[in-house]
Amino acid sequence: MPFTIITQDSFVSTGANYKVNLPSSADYFVTTNITQMALAPATAVVIRGEWYGNGLTAINDGIRWKKTNSTNALNIDTFATATASNGFTYVTRSPYVEAPVTGTAITAANPAVVSMTNTYQNGDRVRLYSTTGMLQIGGMDFTISSVSGSAFTLLGLDASGFAAAATNVVARRISNLDPVEPEFLYVTKVSLANPCVVTVSQAHNYVVGQKIAFQIPPSFGMQELNRLRVPAVITAVGTYTMTLNIDSSAFTAFAFPASTASPTAQLFATLAPAGQSTQYQPLALPVPTYTGYNFNYAPFHTGQFTPYMLLSGGAQSPAGASGDLIVWQAYKMENGPAVPVNLAP
Amino acid sequence: MSMGITNINNMAPELPLQFSEDLLSTPMFNLIHSFGADLHYAEAHIGKTTRMSRYERLSTDGGQLDGSGIDPAPEVVVRSDIDATMEIYAKTVVINEQVTLYENDKVLTKFTALLGQWMREKEDLLMRDLYASSVSYINAVGGLNGDQPSNISRNDVNNIERILLGNDARTMLEQNDAMDKFGTAPTRDAFIALASTDITPDLQNVQGVLLKNAYPHQDGLRPEEYCSISRFRFFVSSKAAKLTGASLSGANVYTIPMYGLEAAAKIDQNNYSCVLGYRPPYVVSSVAQNSQLYAKFAIARAITNQNWISGLNVTQGL
Repeated sequence: MPFTIITQDSFVSTGANYKVNLPSSADYFVTTNITQMALAPATAVVIRGEWYGNGLTAINDGIRWKKTNSTNALNIDTFATATASNGFTYVTRSPYVEAPVTGTAITAANPAVVSMTNTYQNGDRVRLYSTTGMLQIGGMDFTISSVSGSAFTLLGLDASGFAAAATNVVARRISNLDPVEPEFLYVTKVSLANPCVVTVSQAHNYVVGQKIAFQIPPSFGMQELNRLRVPAVITAVGTYTMTLNIDSSAFTAFAFPASTASPTAQLFATLAPAGQSTQYQPLALPVPTYTGYNFNYAPFHTGQFTPYMLLSGGAQSPAGASGDLIVWQAYKMENGPAVPVNLAP
Repeated sequence: MSMGITNINNMAPELPLQFSEDLLSTPMFNLIHSFGADLHYAEAHIGKTTRMSRYERLSTDGGQLDGSGIDPAPEVVVRSDIDATMEIYAKTVVINEQVTLYENDKVLTKFTALLGQWMREKEDLLMRDLYASSVSYINAVGGLNGDQPSNISRNDVNNIERILLGNDARTMLEQNDAMDKFGTAPTRDAFIALASTDITPDLQNVQGVLLKNAYPHQDGLRPEEYCSISRFRFFVSSKAAKLTGASLSGANVYTIPMYGLEAAAKIDQNNYSCVLGYRPPYVVSSVAQNSQLYAKFAIARAITNQNWISGLNVTQGL
C-alpha cells in the first residue's frame, strides 16, 4: 500500500496543546473537530486541520478548514494567517526549543510576573534569559501559569527579595519534559525549618519517597545541603515544592546572589534524583502502607517520546476548544519523494 | 593509407564508470558517553525495571564506650535504590530487489554495517541525554567572554574537582608517569570530562592544559581524547550536549559532565543488547521484491551516585 493510515485516535480537548506520539513518524497528519463539525460555529473556528511532511508545512502552521458564521460553507487558509490560530509542530528531538519572544519586565514580587506579549498556555515551560536587572535567573527554566496574552506568572520564583524588577526578558518555550526523567531541577527557595521545604522553578514530578542530592554554589549560601552523608528523602510534595526529612532550621540562609554579582557569581542551585527509599510499614494503621515508589516516575526513563506531533489548542487551532471531540489520523507513505536531509543527530 | 588514430573519441569505453576498489568511509561521530558508565545486565522474565542498590555509609559520630556497660545506640542502615526502566529502540531499512540486483556493492552487507553503526550511535546519544537531563551542573564563571555561564577556565575545572573530592568520588583513569621525552608531562589519576568539539579552542586556552600529544605516551589512549586539565581528562564529540539559548545572553550552553567511578550505569538486557535481523523478500513483499534489515537493542540508564558526578555549563569563548 503506497499510502497508509498508521495510527488513528481521538481525544476530548481541554483547550490546551495536545501531543500525539508518532513511533513511525508521519508524512501527512489530519485532525477533524467532530463537535464543531455538527454545529454552526463562529467564524474562524477550525473544523479540520492538515499537515504535510517533508518540509512542506512550516513550524506551527498547516492548512485549516473553517466554517463561516452560521453557515455550512467551509473556507480554507493556513494557520499562520491569524495570530490567534496556532497550527501543527512536528517535533523530532527533545527538548524542543521554540523561537525567542521578548518581554518588558519581571516583577520583584512573590510570585514573579513576566510582562510579555505571548501565545503561551498555562503549564508551559519557558527558558528565560537577557533578564536585565535580574541577572541571577538568566538561563533558568520555569513553569508558567495565569497566562494572558500580555503576561504570565512564575509560581516557582519568589523574587520579592530581589533588589529590583527586570526591565527586559526573553523567553523560549521548551518541551515540558527533558529527554530523561527524573530530571534535575532549579532550586529557588529553601526554608529554614523542620522539616525543610524546597521550592523549585517548575512544576515537578518528584514523588514521596524519592531521594535527592543538592548542588548549591557558595553564592547561594546553605552549604549544609551539599555533601549529605545520605541523600535527602522527600516526605511530601506540592506542585512546586517538596518537603524533606531534614531539619534546616539551624542552616545558613538560602538566597539568590544579587543581580549585580553576575556574571561572576556561581549559578545555579540545583537538585537531582538520587534514587528512592521504598518503605513498607506493616504496623501502620488502619492498613499497612507502602510508600516511596512510583513505577511511572521514579526509575530513570525517557522523558519525552519523540517524534511527536504537537497540536496547538484553542478554537482556531487543531486541538480545539475545551470539550471538543477531536479525531486525528497519521499517514505514512511507503514510496514517495525523497525525504529532505535529516539534520537531527 | 588511412592515417586515422583510434582514440576515445571514436572508440569510447563500453563502461563509462568503474567502481573504486573500496567504499569511502561513512562518517561517525565520537562515541564518548558510554565507556565511563558501569555496565550492568538485566535478565529476562523478571520485569523491565532494574534496581541497583547501595548501602550508605554509617555515621562516624560518637561510638566511644565509657565502661558503664551501656551499649551505643544502634544505627539504622540506609539503603538507596536506583532504578532504571528498560527501553527498546529499533531502526529498519527496506530494500527493493532491484537495488540488490544492480548496485555495484553488496548492499545487504553494507547496510547491516550501517545499522550496527546506528546502534552504537543511538546508544551514545541516549547516554548523553541521561547526563544532560539528570545531573546538576554549575555555570562556569572564570572565563572572560562576559556571559553567564562563561567560557571554561582553570578555576572552574578546579571547582568541580573540589566538589567531587569533597563527595569522596574516586578517579577513573590511572596516572601516566613522567617519561624522559621533550615536551611531555605526566598526567595525574583523573576523572572523566565529556565535552563538545565546539569548545576545543577554549580547552586549548585553559591555563595548564596538556594536549593529548604531550602525554608521556600514547599507548591505549582513545582517539576521542583531547586533553588533560587539572584532574580531568577531556573526551570530545560533535554530538555532546548543547542547550539552545540557555545562557544569560541567549547563547548556546554546552554541558560538560565530569565524573568518577560508579557515577552512572548502562544496563544491557541479556540477549537483547544488539539484535540484527533480516526479513527475506517472500516475507516482506507479496511478490517477493522487498527485503528488510533491522537492528534493535534494549538499554536502561541511570545516574547511580549523584555525589560522584558534577559538571560545568560553559559557553564558547570570544
